[in-house]
Amino acid sequence: MNSTVKVSGLTVRHRRRTALDSVDLDFGPGVHGLLGPNGAGKTSLIRVLSTAAAPDAGRIELLGSDVGAASDHRARAEVRRRLGYLPQEFGHYAGFTVREFVAYVAWLKEMDSTRAAAAVERAVDRVGLADRIDSRMKTLSGGMVRRVGIAQAIVNEPELLLLDEPTAGLDPEQRVEFRALMRDLGEHATVILSTHLVEDVVTACEGVTLIEAGRVAYRGTTRELAALGKDGGQDERAGSPIERGYTTALRSHRATAGAR
Amino acid sequence: MTIWHVADDQVLRYAEGTALETDAWSLEKHVESCTSCAERVSAAVRGRGAAAPLLDEVRAAVLAAAVPVSGGAEAGRPVTGPGAWHGRAPAWRRLPGRHRFGRVLWAAGPALRGPWTGALALVVCTAVALAYGGGLGGSVRALLLLVAPVLPLAGVGVSYGRSADPLHEIIATSPGGGLRLLLTRTAAVLGVTVPVLALVWAVLPASAGGPGPLAWLLPGLALTLAALGIGSYLGCRTAALVVAAGWAAAVTVPALDTSPSTLLDGTPTALRYFAGFPAQGAWAVAAVLGAALLVLRRRSFDHLETS
Repeated sequence: MNSTVKVSGLTVRHRRRTALDSVDLDFGPGVHGLLGPNGAGKTSLIRVLSTAAAPDAGRIELLGSDVGAASDHRARAEVRRRLGYLPQEFGHYAGFTVREFVAYVAWLKEMDSTRAAAAVERAVDRVGLADRIDSRMKTLSGGMVRRVGIAQAIVNEPELLLLDEPTAGLDPEQRVEFRALMRDLGEHATVILSTHLVEDVVTACEGVTLIEAGRVAYRGTTRELAALGKDGGQDERAGSPIERGYTTALRSHRATAGAR
Repeated sequence: MTIWHVADDQVLRYAEGTALETDAWSLEKHVESCTSCAERVSAAVRGRGAAAPLLDEVRAAVLAAAVPVSGGAEAGRPVTGPGAWHGRAPAWRRLPGRHRFGRVLWAAGPALRGPWTGALALVVCTAVALAYGGGLGGSVRALLLLVAPVLPLAGVGVSYGRSADPLHEIIATSPGGGLRLLLTRTAAVLGVTVPVLALVWAVLPASAGGPGPLAWLLPGLALTLAALGIGSYLGCRTAALVVAAGWAAAVTVPALDTSPSTLLDGTPTALRYFAGFPAQGAWAVAAVLGAALLVLRRRSFDHLETS
């Protein structure tokens, strides 16, 4: 497989707690879902992959360049130009208009200024906020701010797109549109989205990676995870096949991890 | 709490894209928390019939042809498929011309918009008020000189990093972030502070002797660089606080054993920090050391502040 993201032995610690414990992963173009219980290490992983945080140990190769160590500064800047990121806590400048805000991020991404103006309009249009492009950020609802967050992440047409809980605050209809946008982007780019909503993964993602207590608990396609759930009985109250698959995979991982 | 749900005709108008903007907002807010209304809205939007995608495409094509936009044909294409997100006609407006000066101010980001501008204005007003209203006359220049080195420091403290900049996490993943952006913002802060203080100095009544109007520049630069250097370990806000507290102690401690009357009427003892070639030379050396520390620690700004 043509991997755009390769990590090996990735370890992240927050003070004494180990958030990621020697994780090996690789991703290629397409949409990948990161699932896992709260506090499993999803945000830590996304942060390290987005180059926001440096790992405590391990190698990270993004888009063909090593970016983990302090010495990789130049390669990291080059990768950062081709990367989009929506953090879990998406902060913004309340006084900026949507257009100014997205253009500011385009400027931070060192986009060519002749191209940036059109790219900003296109990104805002793709999240359906073309009619609010000159509204100030403080006048937007929570769901709209989240969509501006998605717009700033895709403004530079990233080859690697990392989204942390992108559907939080979106209403059901907007979520449907969001998944369509992700599938569209996944045709060329590597999209990794972390979520606690299993349904996001079913409809938007081809691959699923399950994280539990800082380790990879399961990797497979969405279909494989759903198939895992079919064996778990046909009880409708236990949720959709994919939800049952999620629970089954987690349980079997916990069982083997506990036996070790 | 009143139980309000979206009326049927509102749902219909929303799906058609003809709802008033304010109505559409309250509807969107409501469906975020109300599943039954969300389902009705979703159903209405999907159920606009087979003609809806066609209509959307026609509208997009007409808009693309009618308005010359910078994005050209590409911008007129409905990117997310028919009925993109709202089905409301986009307002195609061209990006207003951005000037080079505007870009520089932009780069300064939050510092020049935030409470720091207020703090600077407060210092200026207080100085002028004390000189003319408070009857302090000539000694206000000396007081201003003591406050001046801390002002750019405060600007740095509120303009960069985890506790000051809501965008810090996105900036940490940007090629244009890191030390370069921090220095741009610091330069913007200094670029505002220096002329403003020079102007105030000119407005204040003259004092006999004492250091000149530019005596604070080197100390200010040295303290700012020290804050940036320490900021590479502690984060910018903490570092600015530490340095400012150090300066405040250095100014007040020697003044403690002098009586208040001599303090106001003569020249504060702390003014000797500015006076003469040896003092200024020492500040220059301190500034160079601070810059050297910053160069050594430059890579620490490549990632999120860890503290």
